[in-house]
Amino acid sequence: MNLVKIRIAISLLVFTLFLLLFLGGGKISVFLSPILLPLQFVPALMRILTQPEILFIISLTTILIISLIFGRVYCSFLCPLGMLQDIISALSRKSGLLRPYTFRKPHNLLRYSILGLTIATLGIGFLSLVNLLDPYSITGRIITELGQPLLTWIYNASANLLKYLNVYLFPKETPYLPLWALSVAFCFLILILIMSHRTGRLYCNTLCPVGSFLGLLSRISIFQLSIDQNKCRECVRCEIVCKAGCIDPQKKNIDQSRCVNCFNCLEACPQSLIIYSPSFNKIKNDEWSPARRGFLIAAFAASGSFFLAFNSGTAGLRKIAHANDRLPITPPGSVSFAHFTCACIACNLCVSACPTNVITPSFLEYGITGLMQPLMNYQKSFCDYECNICGKVCPTGAILPLPLEEKKLTQIGEVKLIKEKCIVYVDKQNCGACGEVCPTHTINFTNKSNVLYPETDTRYCIGCGACEKACPTSPKSIVVRSNSIHKKAVQYIAAAKLPQPKKETSNDFPF
Amino acid sequence: MTEVQKTDRREFLKKGLSLGLVAGGAVILGKTDFLSAKETVTAMPDLVAVKNGEPDALFKKAIELMGGMRQFVKKGQTVVVKPNIGFPRKPEIGATTNPLLVKTIIEHCYKAGAKKVYVFDNVVSPTSSNARNCYKISGIEDAANAAGGIVAPADDFGYKEVKIPAARILTKTDIHELILNSDVFINVPVLKHHRSAHLSIAMKNLMGIVNNRKEYHLRGLDQCIADFCLYRKPDLNIVDAYRVLMSHGPSGPSDESSLQVELKKTLLLSRDIVAVDAAATKIFGKDPEDIEYIKFGHEQKIGNMNLKELKIVTYAM
Repeated sequence: MNLVKIRIAISLLVFTLFLLLFLGGGKISVFLSPILLPLQFVPALMRILTQPEILFIISLTTILIISLIFGRVYCSFLCPLGMLQDIISALSRKSGLLRPYTFRKPHNLLRYSILGLTIATLGIGFLSLVNLLDPYSITGRIITELGQPLLTWIYNASANLLKYLNVYLFPKETPYLPLWALSVAFCFLILILIMSHRTGRLYCNTLCPVGSFLGLLSRISIFQLSIDQNKCRECVRCEIVCKAGCIDPQKKNIDQSRCVNCFNCLEACPQSLIIYSPSFNKIKNDEWSPARRGFLIAAFAASGSFFLAFNSGTAGLRKIAHANDRLPITPPGSVSFAHFTCACIACNLCVSACPTNVITPSFLEYGITGLMQPLMNYQKSFCDYECNICGKVCPTGAILPLPLEEKKLTQIGEVKLIKEKCIVYVDKQNCGACGEVCPTHTINFTNKSNVLYPETDTRYCIGCGACEKACPTSPKSIVVRSNSIHKKAVQYIAAAKLPQPKKETSNDFPF
Repeated sequence: MTEVQKTDRREFLKKGLSLGLVAGGAVILGKTDFLSAKETVTAMPDLVAVKNGEPDALFKKAIELMGGMRQFVKKGQTVVVKPNIGFPRKPEIGATTNPLLVKTIIEHCYKAGAKKVYVFDNVVSPTSSNARNCYKISGIEDAANAAGGIVAPADDFGYKEVKIPAARILTKTDIHELILNSDVFINVPVLKHHRSAHLSIAMKNLMGIVNNRKEYHLRGLDQCIADFCLYRKPDLNIVDAYRVLMSHGPSGPSDESSLQVELKKTLLLSRDIVAVDAAATKIFGKDPEDIEYIKFGHEQKIGNMNLKELKIVTYAM
């Protein structure tokens, strides 16, 4: 059984599914999200912290158990960023640009500090570090913010050309991505490109908190790769194929905490002296290990942060009950500003799945604690009344799934009509762009000498922003203000008893 | 097949001859306004109204009373049929043009010899996913495809700027190239209540062929609706008043229990967009004098809202 080939096959399949998840659009994302994402470490962890669900508890436990048995197989078989790096490394190698991998000393202080800090900040509801460093989120942002616009552009260009052949495709809207969000995704792509081109899985063994954590588990995993120290003749063939740079040919030792289980070394050894087997009888390395100290730091930070998480005071600070124009509006299903900002890891899956592109990534709109968490951008679009996709795809429970009927009555914000700016009130002429698109009858019109004046009844408003998007004035005369805790809107039922549809029977015309 | 064509041609010649005689007579008698300004000199009615039938039967009767589809569509021409597909609503709501009517019109266009028949609308909720929803849910996509129509999206690439020198406000706008490039433009609005413009009929339906509707709203909705007609009047307006949305227009209510629809089973045909709007307003039960854009259209001589001055043919099935 060739483990390398199996790894390549599985990881290519998973990576393709990831591309589909983010680029396939609404239905495909909804289908793939519950299959792929429970098996992603950080999303599953966040889901358990915010909205424990049996599926996610099982999946995360599985990841942990697998890591304890087989080592960091997660990094090679399931992590989309790992696969992206492997693809880049493989391409670099094919093009002949890649220098051979060499053994590198571990950056233990760096990686365990990052791990400890990430866990600690996560515990107090400060998600920026997780958002920045989680490999799944990074991949999500790269695909959404760089891949999706490219794909849309190609699709629209082809649609435009196909018109000449009388084939009419509906064009896709180019998603709006703020420059800052785009820059972050772009910088990470460049960082990953350089790191993986030069040194393989360097990211995984320095910056990645998931990698560092699973590394701690794989130190004590049952199955480990090991070199037959007596027979090895230091040909370094294993060293030059090791993406993690964790094989030290001088000491004939493999650093288990950094090995990502790619199994390249198994194939490379001409004498098959590297074996992957249970490590019960192996001699433990009893040298002083900075990794062990790191483990202690991390464990300490973790326990402290979980304590903090349960007594979290920061979330309470953001619980402002009334509608507010300064807070960003969070997607329907996100319960409250506090719930959303404490659970969203900014993977941007909702951004790419949103059919109206109203969900856009932010940069600092949520403050320093919620870097890049997406928001409802009514300058650019509006929330489709008949859609609840974002809740269906969100892996962390930041946006909880809402049945469509419930979503239609979930008030994420409240409309405010500014009559001093409104054309109808200022110029005394018909406009009504807001009322035309309002799906909930929040906006009603009063007829005064044949001019129809808009009025709002916020009981019905769900804050979808259709009116704000449609309003022709700038600045807008009708705006949605955020509900920091989402409310329930009143179901509209026409006030007067309406006459039943009557059938025309007379044969007369009114002219 | 050839037999049918022969008789058709003979009939056409006969009709043409008689129409010519009538037209000649009209000129002699000095009633020149009786003739339309275009080169097709006809004595067709100014307005045809038919009621109490199914949408397809209504159209067949109405177009027959109008002198047949060949009056409007000639062999080899490209046609744009512009229904109202503004909202993602089922046909029962009455917010969109009846799909069976759209299908029947397309079939007649092809029978009259049309080369291509396009169907499109720039939907109100301006996102691509919504546009597709509107086309599908309204039943118009399937109906048009069944009749061989080319269902085209109103995408952003397809607009060209045009100037309207005679306009009071809307001196230029971006209009969809399908309208600019086709020979025949058939406007197929649905008559419905409109919360912020009183009624949506034929003139209002033309907001679905321009790109920047916000400009209309910003600069004066009623005047811009009228101004646009100075650029291009549809060759034929077919107003669907089969199922009329009486309140909560233009989209219809969010819950169907508040739906108020009247089965008026009526169809109006006219080349005069102002006249057809005035007639439809009366069918709805309102006074055309109350609808600002109809009055503007009349003032700017786009058409005639005084129905008494028009030759109207009515028919109840």
